[in-house]
Amino acid sequence: MDCNTCDSAPAVQVHAPEVVNAMLTITDKAKEMLSGAFGDDRSHALLVGVLSGGCSGYMYDLQIVESTDQDCQELTIDGFRVLIPNATSHLLDGIEIDYVDRLMGGGFKINNPNAESSCGCGESFS
Amino acid sequence: MGVVELDGYVLIVRGKDASAFINGLSTNKIEGTCTTVFTNSIAKIIDMVDVIDMGLFSALVGHGPNKDALLSHLIPRILGQDVQIADASESNVVLLSTEDLDVENGVTKVQTFRGWLVISPHGKEPGVTMSDSEFTDWRVENMIPHPGFEITNANHPYACGLGLLVHEDKGCYIGQEILARMKSRGRQGKELTREKNPVNDATSIGSTHSLVIRRC
Repeated sequence: MDCNTCDSAPAVQVHAPEVVNAMLTITDKAKEMLSGAFGDDRSHALLVGVLSGGCSGYMYDLQIVESTDQDCQELTIDGFRVLIPNATSHLLDGIEIDYVDRLMGGGFKINNPNAESSCGCGESFS
Repeated sequence: MGVVELDGYVLIVRGKDASAFINGLSTNKIEGTCTTVFTNSIAKIIDMVDVIDMGLFSALVGHGPNKDALLSHLIPRILGQDVQIADASESNVVLLSTEDLDVENGVTKVQTFRGWLVISPHGKEPGVTMSDSEFTDWRVENMIPHPGFEITNANHPYACGLGLLVHEDKGCYIGQEILARMKSRGRQGKELTREKNPVNDATSIGSTHSLVIRRC
């Protein structure tokens, strides 16, 4: 392979998905658990992201962050700052963040009306 | 034996997230140069791809007729990661040699489970020295599955002899749950076999033996 030819190879066009103004809801149980995680410091934000990969093609990624270099839209829900990256807003519009109190498989869960299927662990969707 | 030209594509994948991106969507653990398989949600093959670590980028070398399907699989999953894909298929020739060979400067050669894969700019490629029937005989003798014959979107990797490309501990990727279930239950449904001619439903017909995918 000649690296000179590789440098001039035409780029494959990636059509960026349309950015939508994402709406989301957080259940009471999830708010209770988020309150425990945030404490009194509401300067941090809940970053709700999507990564490629996982059993179904996309994986949820929840993080508590001070800031992010991703291009995000910010929502405030009951005092919680929520950041949604514009690049994945089309996959997250309409989601509900829930918390499931179970010894096995418990924790934050995302109910996503855009998902055609989810894997067994609930972290991945398509 | 010799050298055959493959109907191959060459995609250039750049960006700091490129390796993780490929790793998260295919069956093998991507650590440098290796061969992997992209599968869909029911573990059927989209394409078998040789990943060549070129330092500044990775090259994905796959089967030409599967290029569009693979790109349709990959592109929607670039979600803000630092991943760029370019298509260098037009400027390169893809060949397979059954034995090691000397190549000119600017020609890339990597050893894979099916022989030495050679990616060459036009005009620098080694000459083709093996006919299609000789290549088929060699594949049948060595039970090497080939795209378009055994490696098709009707099969999962275990069925067509690509179990060596399924890493069992790497974590999740599309199709992983189904492949893991097959492995843990010891039920892969079908397997690649070599049988003496004549063979019904052969996928590759050699002069004395053929390859066939049978229920097991």
